[in-house]
Amino acid sequence: MSSSELNELSKKSKTDSQELWRWRMRQLDIPTQLLRLTVLVAGFLIWQYELIFKGVPITIFGFEPLPKINPIFYAVPTDIWGYLADYYHDLLFWKDLWVTLQEAIWGFVIGGSTGFITGILLGYFLRLQKVFGPFLVFANAVPKIAFAPILILWYGVDMGSKIALAVIIVFFIVQMPTTAAVGLVDPDLNTLATTMGATKSQLFKKVVVPGIMPAVFGALRLAAIYAMLSVVFGEFIASKRGLGQKLLVSTNQFNMASAFALMLVLAVVALGLNGIIGLTERRVLKWQTTRRGGQVVSL
Amino acid sequence: MTSPSVELNNVSLIFGDGDPRKENVTAVDNTSLEIPAGQFVAIVGPSGCGKTTILNMLAGLIKPTLGSVKRHGVEVDGPSRDIGYMLARSALSPWRTAKQNVELGLEIRGMSKQERSEKSLELLSQLRLEGFADSYPSMLSQGMQQRVAIARTLAIDPDLWLLDEPFGALDAQTRLTVQSEFISLWESNPGKTVIFVTHDLEEAVLLADRVIVMTARPGKIKSDTIVPIPRPRIVDELKFDPVFTETEHKIWKELRDELV
Repeated sequence: MSSSELNELSKKSKTDSQELWRWRMRQLDIPTQLLRLTVLVAGFLIWQYELIFKGVPITIFGFEPLPKINPIFYAVPTDIWGYLADYYHDLLFWKDLWVTLQEAIWGFVIGGSTGFITGILLGYFLRLQKVFGPFLVFANAVPKIAFAPILILWYGVDMGSKIALAVIIVFFIVQMPTTAAVGLVDPDLNTLATTMGATKSQLFKKVVVPGIMPAVFGALRLAAIYAMLSVVFGEFIASKRGLGQKLLVSTNQFNMASAFALMLVLAVVALGLNGIIGLTERRVLKWQTTRRGGQVVSL
Repeated sequence: MTSPSVELNNVSLIFGDGDPRKENVTAVDNTSLEIPAGQFVAIVGPSGCGKTTILNMLAGLIKPTLGSVKRHGVEVDGPSRDIGYMLARSALSPWRTAKQNVELGLEIRGMSKQERSEKSLELLSQLRLEGFADSYPSMLSQGMQQRVAIARTLAIDPDLWLLDEPFGALDAQTRLTVQSEFISLWESNPGKTVIFVTHDLEEAVLLADRVIVMTARPGKIKSDTIVPIPRPRIVDELKFDPVFTETEHKIWKELRDELV
């Protein structure tokens, strides 16, 4: 190695830490972060100083999208914060949160797994799809949320009825895309594995299952959010425990600060569930993360 | 006398969905062909002439309507594990790394992890891909993807190589490189029979021992020409060889009438 090459190399190792720093900064994308912060602060101020609730005199076809709101019907962030702090020390709140979380998780797990299995079976066995497809399309078209009161009659006011509602809703969210995805697996991959002498079960394990994973994970992320939504709605109809029930009571008592605080908690829980699925997805679909240049696109 | 590697006896293949109102399509019409073991045969012809159909019948993916398809004197009945099939698109599994893609056929056969790994790394290095064993297909160029596909085809050490326009998707430069890599791999594996479907006559004459021209649909064999160029062949020099030009011209006259 010549001395000039050596020089070149040593210079490089010195600049490396600087380069790394610059690269990290680019990844962080400061302008975007600043803009985000601005939006957050602006939103907070508009809310805290009640600007949005004072009424904006716009009328669209006789409809006022931003009417003046009676102060009894809203709460500002500082009040909400007060409730969040109280709840943090309130054992009953944690018990309610646990009830709602269990309902959502059970609904997600049962609905998700049955939806996944049914989805694969229907996608794989065309005869099954032909027979059951139309019925499932019809069942999916039924406004499932309207079943909530009936499910309470069937399963009682405890957790069962909420789980049942979440199962029904999550099932279709997972089943439909899974079935479609099986049909969309690259036929070349199937042909190729077949010519290599793959058995049916090998084709299934090595081509079909990995091939549908991106679609399945997309559906699961959506399903987690909808599982939360379903159990909260179920609790609205009739229940003894749960954050949804607590939220309804707060709203009925015009305790807006409590209601908003609970909604915030519910949103954080739903995001948490979504995040757990997102992390699993990143591990399972590592190849896709690489394809998108490290950016995981979320729903 | 040993029986030929591949034998087609009066083979016809008719496609139809059974709807009596529609006319059936004859893809291959009463075709007979014999290929001895170790020969490199190229099949050229207009699109839709049944070239791919012949490969599919040999691979055991479809059965002829009439006639018989035999390998080593035995009727083909379903896919067999000693055939390597390569498609125009690389058909790599996007969720598998280059190495894992090469191992697909070995996994299907139930080879141990250790053996698979050795075999695939060896093939990848033969195709100058040793640094990309852990890359996913999306990170590889088209030429590299197709080389991974070649490695995957050869990993199972097939006795018959079926190639369906394997280099069709590559640009001219990459194609030349991959072609010469491929041909030297084949030349170093004596006894392997190759059936190479292409629409590119130049490619056919460059690589093959024998070029078969098929007619437009319904597909029949129009001509069968031996390419009198010795091996080993240097693909990028051969183009300027007078024997090459002469042979290509001779076959071109046959093919021209079929291309409308």
